[in-house]
Amino acid sequence: MAAAAAAVEVTVVDFWCNEFGMRARLALREKRVPFEFVEEDLRVRERSDLVRRMNPVHRAIPILIHAGRPVCGSLNIVEYVDEVWSKTPRLLPADPLERANARFWADFVDQKVYDAQARFFTNRGEEKAAAMAELLGHLRRLEAVLRDRPFFGGDEFGFLDVALVPFSSMFYGYERHGGVDMEAECPVLLRWVRRCGERVSVRDVLPSGQDMYAIHKEFYQTE
Amino acid sequence: MSSSPPVKLIGHFASPFVHRAAAALRLKGVPYEFIQEDLENKSELMLANNPIHKKVPVLLHGDRAVCESLVIVEYVDEAFDGPPLLPADPYDRAMARFWAHFMDTKCRTPLVLSFLTEGEQQEGFLKETKENLALLEAQLDGKRFFGGDSVGYLDIALSGMSRWMAVFEEMTGVSLLADDDFAALRRWAKEYTSNEAVMQCLPGIEQIKGHFSATAKKDKVKAVATAMQQQQ
Repeated sequence: MAAAAAAVEVTVVDFWCNEFGMRARLALREKRVPFEFVEEDLRVRERSDLVRRMNPVHRAIPILIHAGRPVCGSLNIVEYVDEVWSKTPRLLPADPLERANARFWADFVDQKVYDAQARFFTNRGEEKAAAMAELLGHLRRLEAVLRDRPFFGGDEFGFLDVALVPFSSMFYGYERHGGVDMEAECPVLLRWVRRCGERVSVRDVLPSGQDMYAIHKEFYQTE
Repeated sequence: MSSSPPVKLIGHFASPFVHRAAAALRLKGVPYEFIQEDLENKSELMLANNPIHKKVPVLLHGDRAVCESLVIVEYVDEAFDGPPLLPADPYDRAMARFWAHFMDTKCRTPLVLSFLTEGEQQEGFLKETKENLALLEAQLDGKRFFGGDSVGYLDIALSGMSRWMAVFEEMTGVSLLADDDFAALRRWAKEYTSNEAVMQCLPGIEQIKGHFSATAKKDKVKAVATAMQQQQ
């Protein structure tokens, strides 16, 4: 009975291919927090009553609902999960400077990586190529942050790993759609992606590259 | 008393983002040296410490560099002793971060876009700005500050509204936060700008006006003002 109550205490409203929502689901799984996954189909124009009620300001997903109260914003959700379920290994490091660096680079992913990726899929010709060049530049900057450590969190999978790894599910799409050889362009990052892929949470949450590419073609109406 | 590495803040007096960082330091009671940056002629020091965005503020703490205003505010809260800036409760912290982000993406962005557009487009952005400011105002909910009884993270994040909005109004002769509409925000702005620690790092209205008048921004601001008068 108690386990059942705990299971419905946390709900994530999300869509299976939403990279931002994957962050929330990864964080909960890493923390071993059971949750209910309520799907919101982003292919449907109108947002559901649930989303409009729980996130009236943005009408966006992911939304974490904990004991009836919504938390919105993917990185916000990850920090919240880290702070509430604080007994399990922390996603954010203890040192203030390392925390600041993790937040800075997660913000960089939001400001730069997602935007370049969207432009890569929606533009044509020269603009498309320019967007990919930009995107690869951003990923190489992130490789420089990673250096030779196993994870962005150091020895442990952490906040920045959670923030970035969902985007790796689009790498297959970059290859198919843009003829990019990701192994040649970002070998350090690819090694990190494979290492993350050994984790149960990542294997369970990230869709296959093929599925991600297929649905994004649908969204962006490409090819 | 342990000695701490020196703290320097690279910034510009007229920037509301720099003010966030300075306010956090003052409220936390951290002594620092302010380094004024010439934004038309960026320094090696700034560019070396913020190669990604090449913007102010940049916080230097010994040999560490921290960039992005809200990241700096959280760093200051965590790295130094002093009154806490973020709330203690995780849900309240999530709310504070949410509304801070909302300010930047849903209030500042449409306002800036309104400077750069005309006619119906401009009216649309101004309407959006006002609607979103109303949502922010509702978060005050009768409290003295967004943080409760004392100035906190969200007050610092929203501090642009407390002074820079007044600058815009004075320069154009038009009110964005008109008397009837935003009484609670105006009351909050008075409270925030009267805070002792805040006053030490808050530029004066005339100072900020002087800076913006000196740049091309004055014309765009006038255009927005005209549109606003038509709306009222």
